[in-house]
Amino acid sequence: MGKIWIPGAMPVELLLILAAVFFAFVAGGWVLKKQGRPIPKFWQAILIWIAAYVVLRYVLYPPIPSALLKTYMGLITLVLFLLVSSDEESWTEFKDPILKVLRGATPGFRSIRTITFVALPALIAFGTYDTIVPKFEEPIELRTVHPAPPASVKVAGKTFTLQTAENPFRVDEEGKYSRDIQQQHVNDNPWDPNAVKYMKYVREGGAIFFQNCHFCHGDNLDGRGMFAFAFNPIPANFTDAGTIAQLQETFVFWRVAKGGMGLPREGFPWASVMPPWEQHLTTDEMWKVIMFEYWHTGFYPRTWD
Amino acid sequence: MKGILKGSSKRGLVIGLTLFALIGAVLVSTVVITTAQEEKAAAPATAAIPPKATPEDLEAGKAVYFRKCVWCHGPEGAGDGPGADRLWPRPRNFNQGTFKIRHTASGELPLLDDLFQTVTHGLPGSAMPAWDGILSEKQRRQVVEFVRTELVKDRDFTDAETETYTPINFGKQVPSSEESIARGKEVFMNKGKCVECHGPEARGDGNATQKDEWDFPIRPADLHKCWNFRGNRGDPYNPANIFREVSTGLNGTPMPSFADVLSEEQRWDVANFVISLCPKKQIDPLTMKPNNDFVVRSKFAEGDLPTDPDDPKWQEMAPNYVGLGGQITHKPRNFVRLVDDAWVRSLYNDKEIAYLIEWDDRNKSVATPEALAMAATFEETPPEGKPIAEREYPVFNDAAAIQFPTKWETLNAPEKPRFMFGDAKNGVDIWKWSADGSVKMLNGSGWDQELVPHGSGEVTTPYVQHKDGQWRVIFKRPLVTDDKEKAVQFTTGQYIPTLFFVWDGHNGDTGRKTSLSSWYYTILMPPIPTKAYVYPLFAAAFVIGLQFWVTSKVKNGKKK
Repeated sequence: MGKIWIPGAMPVELLLILAAVFFAFVAGGWVLKKQGRPIPKFWQAILIWIAAYVVLRYVLYPPIPSALLKTYMGLITLVLFLLVSSDEESWTEFKDPILKVLRGATPGFRSIRTITFVALPALIAFGTYDTIVPKFEEPIELRTVHPAPPASVKVAGKTFTLQTAENPFRVDEEGKYSRDIQQQHVNDNPWDPNAVKYMKYVREGGAIFFQNCHFCHGDNLDGRGMFAFAFNPIPANFTDAGTIAQLQETFVFWRVAKGGMGLPREGFPWASVMPPWEQHLTTDEMWKVIMFEYWHTGFYPRTWD
Repeated sequence: MKGILKGSSKRGLVIGLTLFALIGAVLVSTVVITTAQEEKAAAPATAAIPPKATPEDLEAGKAVYFRKCVWCHGPEGAGDGPGADRLWPRPRNFNQGTFKIRHTASGELPLLDDLFQTVTHGLPGSAMPAWDGILSEKQRRQVVEFVRTELVKDRDFTDAETETYTPINFGKQVPSSEESIARGKEVFMNKGKCVECHGPEARGDGNATQKDEWDFPIRPADLHKCWNFRGNRGDPYNPANIFREVSTGLNGTPMPSFADVLSEEQRWDVANFVISLCPKKQIDPLTMKPNNDFVVRSKFAEGDLPTDPDDPKWQEMAPNYVGLGGQITHKPRNFVRLVDDAWVRSLYNDKEIAYLIEWDDRNKSVATPEALAMAATFEETPPEGKPIAEREYPVFNDAAAIQFPTKWETLNAPEKPRFMFGDAKNGVDIWKWSADGSVKMLNGSGWDQELVPHGSGEVTTPYVQHKDGQWRVIFKRPLVTDDKEKAVQFTTGQYIPTLFFVWDGHNGDTGRKTSLSSWYYTILMPPIPTKAYVYPLFAAAFVIGLQFWVTSKVKNGKKK
């Protein structure tokens, strides 16, 4: 409500927004034409250009890089020219106001010409200055979000081979490992006193999460916890299809156990405040909290095959 | 023909740019205005007893509650879920029906829409997140139905015998103006007695020993951080929020209702005054906090660097907002950090660099000898069953520190030392000031390593003051020092990684129990090159020439 930004706008959404704006114009133009008050070609082009700029610059959130913005605007300018010069008639109509200004056909046009002739060089001068003056922006640093895991990790004196290790709490009532158990109980209440064994473990994992992890990863596991605003980069968002949904449970175990310190160089270990949880939790607690994260987000761990 | 094409495309560009500025301004102001109006429109006209919840809503609301809410608010809604003991402010105990953020008179239950808005926008400055975009509107309504029916045990929302709902009257809004703000300040200081709790500078330092209805410690709000106001409804700069809270009071807290004490006009004046204290920053819609700008731009100053923070040279600069998180990576872990942000500026001249760091801290803390004796072994592990909110800490020193890589010049970008006191491969140079007056230069080589004092260069703090709930400290050091192996060296035009720490002595902060930022950068801004002034003139001259050429061409074309 009252927000004009669209979180996580994907290219498809972006195109949809642009298309919607464009068609709004076409429809509006058509209605005005029907009423006998058509918008002149020249102003149509200008309006479309501005609307596109406003959408790209102010509506999209997170904002797109300025280089990309320039590319898009260049394309849009080109398309507009193709549109207005598609036939001789529209080209003439488009040129008409411009030529009138240049010729100073009437006193009105003459004053527009004067204003433009003063404003344009000033604008270009300012643009040049703005380009040359050094800007001190944050250096762009691209990190690998999911670096290659090691073959095995040693946690609390025990070696876990990531390819073969299993979460010991993902079990059915008999205590046997079960891949389907999460699916069967995805809508259960973990606080139900009669909950199945698996759900009891989920609840224990939830308790650990809300004592340790939510400060950064957030009450909704979306990487927006109380401390998240202070971080750069922000904590991982488990509700995004690009994090734990893409990873094997043992990969997550490696990340939880070793934290930011255990990242290879391409993962920027110096910038990650993810604790090496082996300093704070037992391996059992780590497995439970990981299981809770999958249950809570409704994602399933990826398998190795 | 070609010339015309050029001219016209430029023309489009120019008109476009001018118009876009106008349209952009209109667009932004519309958004601001509509949100303000929404808030006002949300003020209900009637105060009917709400209907009983339907069984379907209760069942659906219960499912949401036991997936999302139970972890902090507890299975019985008593604010005692597994996460509660490490939180302060603690999660709400629903059982008594005591709610802070309402449109209703002091002591009354909130409107259902009030609860819905709380779930939607969260309670900034606490652990309660905004559930907008996570739970659907229907789910949010249903979970409110469940909470108000099943978990509010001592009162009944639907009982016309015991409950009344008297929405506040917003009256006629007084627009913010210098006069209104001045009147508001006058009320704040005198008639309203706000100053008694919120302090002379309104940083929440007037009364540090208050308790809430459940006997947990509670602090008056720091009114300089509107993004942390619990009831800001995702619209921190809107005075209507303040008007509402001053009018209704916050049930369960020492904050009373001023509806009978102050006229509507006076309450609007106070609201305008409070909002005027909040620095105008761009708010990140995803975190609802000011955007961090990770580059501290150090400005060149002629002559000696000013040692008074009120010197125009400091005041002309826009300070960087630095968000601080609790250090919970290594023990002792700081789950409840009381300093959540700082403001940083920097100046340099041909010899020295200076940083001005300002942060809000309600009380000045200087360590007692007993506290210092136990600092080395201090552990932040809440004893079983004892919430952090009730812990009694020894008083350590308030302190602040700036950390740099010792050898940033030789780091392969983007590599840096580890954020927490560096690591074995990449060491750090830390300048630490403490409230007992000591200033130390320390080398760090890992989170679990002792910080080693060194004597390269000299860090001084020419200005240190704690006043009315705010620390202001200036750090100063020569740009270069003799021993380049131990101390950071400064050169202009380079991005030098920089990290900030703040300790709050009354929060038991010492050593690793601290608040800290991410890696920022300091850049000593080189002077603007001459070409930046010359090239624009050339460009303008070229365009002027082009304009006359196109015009003459058009005119000639006409004659033919």
